[in-house]
Amino acid sequence: MKTNTRHLMFTALAAAALAGCGKPPAPTSAEPSASPAAQAPAGDAEKKLSLFCWSEYVPQSVIDQFTKETGIKVSVENYASNEEMLAKLLAGGGSYDLIQPSEYVIEGLIKENLLTPIDHAAIPNIKNLAPDFVNMSFDPGNKFTIPYMAGTVGIVVNTALVTDEIKGYRDVFQDKYKKNIVVLDDAREIVSWGLDSIDIPVNDVSDANLAKVKPVLAKWLPLVKVYDSDSPKTALLNGDVAIGVVWGGEGAKLLEADKKFQWVAPAEGSHLFVDSLAVPKTAKHVKNAELFMNFILRPDISAKISEEFPYLNPNLAARELLTEAQRTNPASFPTAAELANMQTFKDIGGQASKVDELVTSMKAQ
Amino acid sequence: MAGVVAGAAAADPSSFKRKPGLMAWLVLLPLLVWLVLFVVVPTVMLVGVSFSERDALGRVVWNFNTENYLRALDWDTLKALPQLLPQNLSEGTDAILKQDGVSGDPSLTQRLRGIGAGIATTFNAFVWFRILLISIWYALLTTIICMVIGYPVAYFIGRSSERMRIILMTLVMIPFWTSFLIRTYAWITILSKDGLVNSFLVAAQIIPEPMTILYTPFASVLGLVYNYLPFMILPIYTSVERLDNAMVEAAYDLGAGPVRAFSQVIIPLTRPGIVAGILLVFVPSIAMFAITNLMGGGNPPTIGEVIYKQFTSGRNQPFGAALGTLLLVTFIISLWLTRKQREE
Amino acid sequence: MSVVASSPNAIQGFFRRLHGPQIQRGLFGVWTAIIFAFLYIPIILLVVFSFNSSKLNIRWEGFTLKWYGELLQNKTILTAFQNSLIVACVTTVLATLLGTIGAWMLYRYRFPMQRALGLLIFVPMVIPEVLMGVSLLSLFVHLLNIPLGYTTLIIAHTTFCFPFVLVGIQARLHGLDPALEEAALDLGATPVKAFWLVIVPYLMPAIVAGALMSFTLSLDEYIVSVFVTGAASQTLPLKVYGMAKVGLNPQLNAISTIFIIATIFLVLFSQLLTHKKTP
Repeated sequence: MKTNTRHLMFTALAAAALAGCGKPPAPTSAEPSASPAAQAPAGDAEKKLSLFCWSEYVPQSVIDQFTKETGIKVSVENYASNEEMLAKLLAGGGSYDLIQPSEYVIEGLIKENLLTPIDHAAIPNIKNLAPDFVNMSFDPGNKFTIPYMAGTVGIVVNTALVTDEIKGYRDVFQDKYKKNIVVLDDAREIVSWGLDSIDIPVNDVSDANLAKVKPVLAKWLPLVKVYDSDSPKTALLNGDVAIGVVWGGEGAKLLEADKKFQWVAPAEGSHLFVDSLAVPKTAKHVKNAELFMNFILRPDISAKISEEFPYLNPNLAARELLTEAQRTNPASFPTAAELANMQTFKDIGGQASKVDELVTSMKAQ
Repeated sequence: MAGVVAGAAAADPSSFKRKPGLMAWLVLLPLLVWLVLFVVVPTVMLVGVSFSERDALGRVVWNFNTENYLRALDWDTLKALPQLLPQNLSEGTDAILKQDGVSGDPSLTQRLRGIGAGIATTFNAFVWFRILLISIWYALLTTIICMVIGYPVAYFIGRSSERMRIILMTLVMIPFWTSFLIRTYAWITILSKDGLVNSFLVAAQIIPEPMTILYTPFASVLGLVYNYLPFMILPIYTSVERLDNAMVEAAYDLGAGPVRAFSQVIIPLTRPGIVAGILLVFVPSIAMFAITNLMGGGNPPTIGEVIYKQFTSGRNQPFGAALGTLLLVTFIISLWLTRKQREE
Repeated sequence: MSVVASSPNAIQGFFRRLHGPQIQRGLFGVWTAIIFAFLYIPIILLVVFSFNSSKLNIRWEGFTLKWYGELLQNKTILTAFQNSLIVACVTTVLATLLGTIGAWMLYRYRFPMQRALGLLIFVPMVIPEVLMGVSLLSLFVHLLNIPLGYTTLIIAHTTFCFPFVLVGIQARLHGLDPALEEAALDLGATPVKAFWLVIVPYLMPAIVAGALMSFTLSLDEYIVSVFVTGAASQTLPLKVYGMAKVGLNPQLNAISTIFIIATIFLVLFSQLLTHKKTP
């Protein structure tokens, strides 16, 4: 009895308590009703879909319309960061049919064999995607994912307060703007700007490169007034800061709100992120998940999402449905030249922790 | 009144503590089970994780090592301290001399300033310990302010009529039944550069141009005080409420002025409430970071935020667990020491 | 001259006539009013903005009721709010029971390892929320096999709420006259009856305070909830944090306004009722 409890305790710890994948994968090939020969993509017998997505990223109206058209009931659970999603996915607490990871997480998920390949025949709308967004490096051939929304990071300048021309990060982090800057509260982003400014590829975060970027950040970060990833536009709108390095979608909203805001794609280059949809290995309703993916890729639906999130829509057909103002918003849609200057993030594994420590120590100066 | 005095005198209630019978154990059982299942077991797991490693996806790998603790304590810096400190001290003095444009022997004040700069540099080398100290400092400040501004309120409510007491006590709590974010964004609207306070002060020609209020340590502490004030007022209120009217009157009638009556009779009698209030404000506010992030701009980082980040972007749960364990141990030891001291 | 000479006396006399505690009460009353203003300023702003036609909570643009209309159509916010209320109410009952009974037992009896128990109670208070959330998540999933949902949310919330109740009750018990319970026992009451008839009424203000604190803490908890909630039990804070990224919606101000006004009415109303019964 006693050894038994102790054994149990040990297993609990060894089972990697916090996020171990202690659960055996649920039987995945249990879709008896699948009829691959059918012309229209058919869903699973059970009309249910469990969606695990970024908070508010999939508008409720889109989900409601999907239910109305297909009769599939969608239960939605949210997360606020990729790692929260990973923690819950790996713990096996819920059974999710569809998740919404960002590009650098997808790589790891594929490597660890945690995703189910998707059936392109069931997702004909994949043809709507812009050529830039198919076959991306993190998922060659789109075997596992389809892009949901992409976006960039760039500089927003309040021209009422800043008269100098701002071209890139180096112009932002100047002594004269001390305590007048808002940046994303995201260690990986901040380090990537530093790396960009000294011409090191952003995914090359070796110890040596981190040491090289350290003096840059030591100069930059004491100038920052606000760190905010969730709503960096607030500080700019309220006039508390004059310049910000923010998400493209936030920038687009600022540009919409007031003419005095100007968007600058950093000359040194910046991050192109791609949030995608993927089916975890443990999914129970794979067909329904594919139906949903196809639904999301429909131009009218994708355009609806763009209304709420003025990010870079990877759906070419949907872009045509946007208004002129939306389509020409430089914060949403970078030019081809700017796009060429951007990089996606790769999974950096254990180095993430060193990146975090570097930024934390520079912040705490 | 006799009851209150006797109760106050019986500060050590052990004199009447009974030995628990079977019945008492049964009544305590739910609490015990709860504590073991949802406090002890998770804490043991946490400590276990703090001694392990993680893989590339951030999953915990059970492989015993003490690396996380060495890092949390800035062990390398600590080890190098005997060389580091003198070096920083001399460099500090040199920097001061250079800054002042003097060559030769430094004066006494320059030497002191140099020592100050050297100690500051050394202190800054301890990344995590420094963040912990800053967080404790914020929590301490919050607690003191809450106590000073909250006590009179608690006292006033406690001495009101019974009906008013219930109404006022609920009114203290109701603002916090709104969403935290909405409340905080309301504060942001009030304090920002284009905000209400600045517009008012500028319009009234009290200040020539808008001041920076938001995204400063002041705003952080203001936010903390605002959100934790009820947790100071409520326990003090329950202590005040119990005071015997006749007793309070007597304290004033004995010729003691209101100040003395207050400091020598009333405050000592309500001490248990004050202690409880201090605990309920100080302890949770150490690890609080949502407020300091939103109102202070996340600058400087606090221990709660740093631990949170280990579970998100840092992808290092074992290190986060180690920081959390250190926080827990520090706290438990200090609480145990203060209790022991009080009992002796 | 004579005015100047006599004025200190006049002031002294004035103060002597006023009873010491009365001056103090007046001063404390003014101070309490100031603190209430401090507590309610952001709330007033929040209420005002719920009628603002601009979506950005920054400037006043014009009066509208449209957010209330949209709120009534918004199923997800209403469901989330309902979930929050359910979780907060059950949590409050459980935490108050655990905290009150626990505090009394630890006060009245001498259990082995009492000091360790007393310290253990502080662990959920001091432990950062993310650590608690993550460790409870793996406990529920790996050891106890409880599906994530209301149950896990309530357990987690109760765990961090009951120490607040317990500490508050302990403070109140600190000055308890032991004769109070003994008298009841001497009169032939069982310990349970003595507790119920004598101790609980004595503790009532602290119990109410503890329940209020638990309710508030549970209603506003975000980080722990993220980890232990299931799809069907999303609470309002989870919803609100998500919305903050898109831009907070005045519908949230509207729901807060309705809730606050309803509670204030409820409290005033119930107090009026009890007053009528016992004049």
